[in-house]
Amino acid sequence: MKTTKTIFQDGSHKWIAIVRDPAKPNFLVDTNEYLVTHGDQALVLDPGGAEIFPAVFSALSAEFDPSALSGIFASHQDPDICSSLALWLEFNPGMKCYVSWLWGGFIPHFGGNADTFVAIPDEGMDISLGGLILRAVPAHYLHSSGNFNLYDKVAKILFSGDVGAALLPPGMDGLFVENFDAHIRHAEGFHRRWMGSNEAKRRWCERVSQMEIDLLCPQHGAIYQGNDVQRFINWFDELQVGIAGA
Amino acid sequence: MSTALTTLASKRPQAGADLLRIVRINEQIKRVVGVSFKINIMALNAIFLAKRAGTAALGFGVLSNELRVFSQDLRNCMDALTGLIHDCVNEVSVVLQDTRQTRLLEQAAGLAPAQPALIRVLHTREQAGEEHAQRLSSLRRQLKRALEDAFQMVELGGVLAKSAKIEAAYGQSFAPALAQVSGEFDGIVEEIRSSLETLRRSAFVAGN
Repeated sequence: MKTTKTIFQDGSHKWIAIVRDPAKPNFLVDTNEYLVTHGDQALVLDPGGAEIFPAVFSALSAEFDPSALSGIFASHQDPDICSSLALWLEFNPGMKCYVSWLWGGFIPHFGGNADTFVAIPDEGMDISLGGLILRAVPAHYLHSSGNFNLYDKVAKILFSGDVGAALLPPGMDGLFVENFDAHIRHAEGFHRRWMGSNEAKRRWCERVSQMEIDLLCPQHGAIYQGNDVQRFINWFDELQVGIAGA
Repeated sequence: MSTALTTLASKRPQAGADLLRIVRINEQIKRVVGVSFKINIMALNAIFLAKRAGTAALGFGVLSNELRVFSQDLRNCMDALTGLIHDCVNEVSVVLQDTRQTRLLEQAAGLAPAQPALIRVLHTREQAGEEHAQRLSSLRRQLKRALEDAFQMVELGGVLAKSAKIEAAYGQSFAPALAQVSGEFDGIVEEIRSSLETLRRSAFVAGN
């Protein structure tokens, strides 16, 4: 079962990280899911693949009534992002799934109907969660061609999807980055290969540098906090991406 | 594990096995369809042969016409069977998809046992599962009936082929050629009978 860690709280406004399942089979890539609550509403960010649904569901349901979830934010279309969609919809068929317009015809293969999906335009959009405004921030080509991060201006948290992701070896399972230099080694190969465009990367770095970010939360690996956020942005800005070994 | 969960869990291997059986039945039906098309061509040739033989093969000509009608009826019958098989594949595929999702929901129930929303969802799934099972059971019955109809038709085909063999003996100088054709008819009808027998014994049709 995964564990939940509250990484931000101000009254009913919470960010909960759902992380690290010791029972997860090794052949499945490890993922982080996030739950944002505000008042009696909640949005789950990249709820994960179908195979890890039991672990995510059980952890999430300890924190929030799953049938009261208002929506799912899918950063992009990959199976580890939201192939569990059909299962979540069982609990609230009226739930919305926010995803890039580009994937409007693809994600429904995981479940849902015409009313389920809210298409995010390329420039991004505001998503209201019980009065709290969350901003879908463009991160196209990082790595998906229709890709979004989610920014909470009040909590100063950026959910960065695959940006900042690291495939950590066993034993390095801390929730937060503790030693940036040691950590980033496990992120380098991933970013070089998975991020397809230096131009897109530069634009993203410029965009997020203008935001106030206390926590940068990727979908894989550890969370960057404090000075490590800017350190990561600077590192990423200098990294040459879109490179395959062959 | 509750009764509902046990029932759902016990359906898991069944759906996969059913799908495999249906796929095999479909292959067998495709074979029969191909053979019945062959009978049609053979009957057409036999009709021409009977025409050439003239009055010596009048009876053979009538039987060849009947065999041609038989092959068309058999094809119609196989079309109906193919339609039923298609519906069965569809139904079993839905059950397979539901089974996977139910397995994941059951795992979640194991980790979060007192979750009312989850109990409700599993209950709804169980009801839907029962509806699928009933539909599949109805399709299985229809398939069984359609197979029995095909069997009766093949019995008739067998009688026609054997009669053609007898008529061939009266074909004078054409007798050897007519005997060869009627022998081939008989062989093919037996092949169809054997295929239908396999279908009839299939665990999916027999309901095992």
